[in-house]
Amino acid sequence: MSEPVVTKEVGQAPVYKRRLSNFLLDKRLQLRYVILVVTLSGLIAGTLGYLLYQQRSLAVDSIASDLKELAAQSNDVGLSNVVDEFHSDNIALVYKMIGAGLGLVLVLSIYLLMMTHKVAGPLYKVSMYFDRMAAGKLGTVTPLRRGDMLQDFFAAFRDMHLAVRSRFIGDAEAMSRALVGLRASGNLADYRGDQRAKLDDALDALEKHLEERKKQLA
Amino acid sequence: MAATGYKRSWKNLLINKRYQLRFTLFMVGLSVVLMVGLGIWVMHTVNETTRVAMTSLRGQACPAVRDDLDDAASEEDEAPAPRPSMKLPDEKQPPAAPAPAAGSGADERRPKVEIVESSMTLMPDKKPAKPPIPADFEDRIIKHWTCELAQAGALDQLEHGRWVILWVLVGSGFMLAFGLAVYGIKTTHRVAGPLFKVRLYFAKMRDGRFDTVYNLRRGDQLVQFYNHFKAAHAGVVGLEKADIERITAVIKAAEAAGAGEHESIVQLREILARKEKALE
Repeated sequence: MSEPVVTKEVGQAPVYKRRLSNFLLDKRLQLRYVILVVTLSGLIAGTLGYLLYQQRSLAVDSIASDLKELAAQSNDVGLSNVVDEFHSDNIALVYKMIGAGLGLVLVLSIYLLMMTHKVAGPLYKVSMYFDRMAAGKLGTVTPLRRGDMLQDFFAAFRDMHLAVRSRFIGDAEAMSRALVGLRASGNLADYRGDQRAKLDDALDALEKHLEERKKQLA
Repeated sequence: MAATGYKRSWKNLLINKRYQLRFTLFMVGLSVVLMVGLGIWVMHTVNETTRVAMTSLRGQACPAVRDDLDDAASEEDEAPAPRPSMKLPDEKQPPAAPAPAAGSGADERRPKVEIVESSMTLMPDKKPAKPPIPADFEDRIIKHWTCELAQAGALDQLEHGRWVILWVLVGSGFMLAFGLAVYGIKTTHRVAGPLFKVRLYFAKMRDGRFDTVYNLRRGDQLVQFYNHFKAAHAGVVGLEKADIERITAVIKAAEAAGAGEHESIVQLREILARKEKALE
């Protein structure tokens, strides 16, 4: 899955383009909704369609029998054609109903995909930040796209991320100051023999650690 | 850690009202609009079809019981009844009999009463002799009324079918709306539940507390998302542990070198204490 594309910045909220290929971010979550609603709609549309067809067939059969009788009496070929037209109209109604049912299912599916995408999108984004945090990276967090749901949740995540990041930055600065202070005092104080060397090693390790931490917080 | 058996409570179904209601109401609203549109179309077609079918049925003539009797009866039915006079009777003149309908022949059929001074004679009706009853009269009656009843039944069936469709439409519309509302809230709850739990951990992490993360309830969705969160939590805990390790090493080395009371070491001890407490 590709990263969202940032097109421009408007105030604080950057405008991201939604891609068709990215609409199914969380297949399990999204398709569950879609399949249920589609099945339900299909059942309802199917039942209604069947009842409608039954009612119409009853009417057409009644008229057709009259017309056939009339056609037999008067030898009028036109009347037989009318009966055929009735039957073809009946079939056309079935196709219309199938079309309407499919249209209903299509509209609902697209709508639900879009709606669930607005939920799955923020979750996907937060998951990516989680992955970065898992790797020990605490970079900056960008806002959600316009129209996305779970804005409250994302705000809570951003607050947490900011607080954790700020605390680590503060700690890193405090450790840097301590490192400088200890290095400076080491040059002045009369520390004992090899212990001084061990302290220098520990301070070197701390310095490397802080450099690494700065990269993680960038 | 195994999933603990937390009970879901109806009171807590709406954890994230904004998200849950927005999602559910949108879903219900759209379904209702679609159902109403579909329903209007269906009922329009059904009404039209039923009307046509009923008209067609009513137009079908059932076999006559007896042609001659039917003709006579139809003639009688068609004759208009004489309109009663609205004039008050004149005292000097006897009340006039209602005028017979023109061409009806009713005057010929009725018995006439002739009053001649003291005698009164009732003249017999000049009705023509009835034609003989045909041999298949019984069958004709049965056929006629079977046809009449079949037509009435078919009309009832058509009307019944129309009502069935209307009620199925209304019922399924309500069921769809209600079902989707309940399903929407329940399903979004399964999403909102884990999010609510994660938000609680967010609050703890924001306050600098990184204690144990427990598993989700059974049936909750977003399991993968939650696993990502657990990994993130573990990552931050890892950063804290790395800091603790480095600071501890520096403090130990400084203490061994006789610089345990240095101002920087005192500060480092404070940081260390805070970080260790955060992991408890």
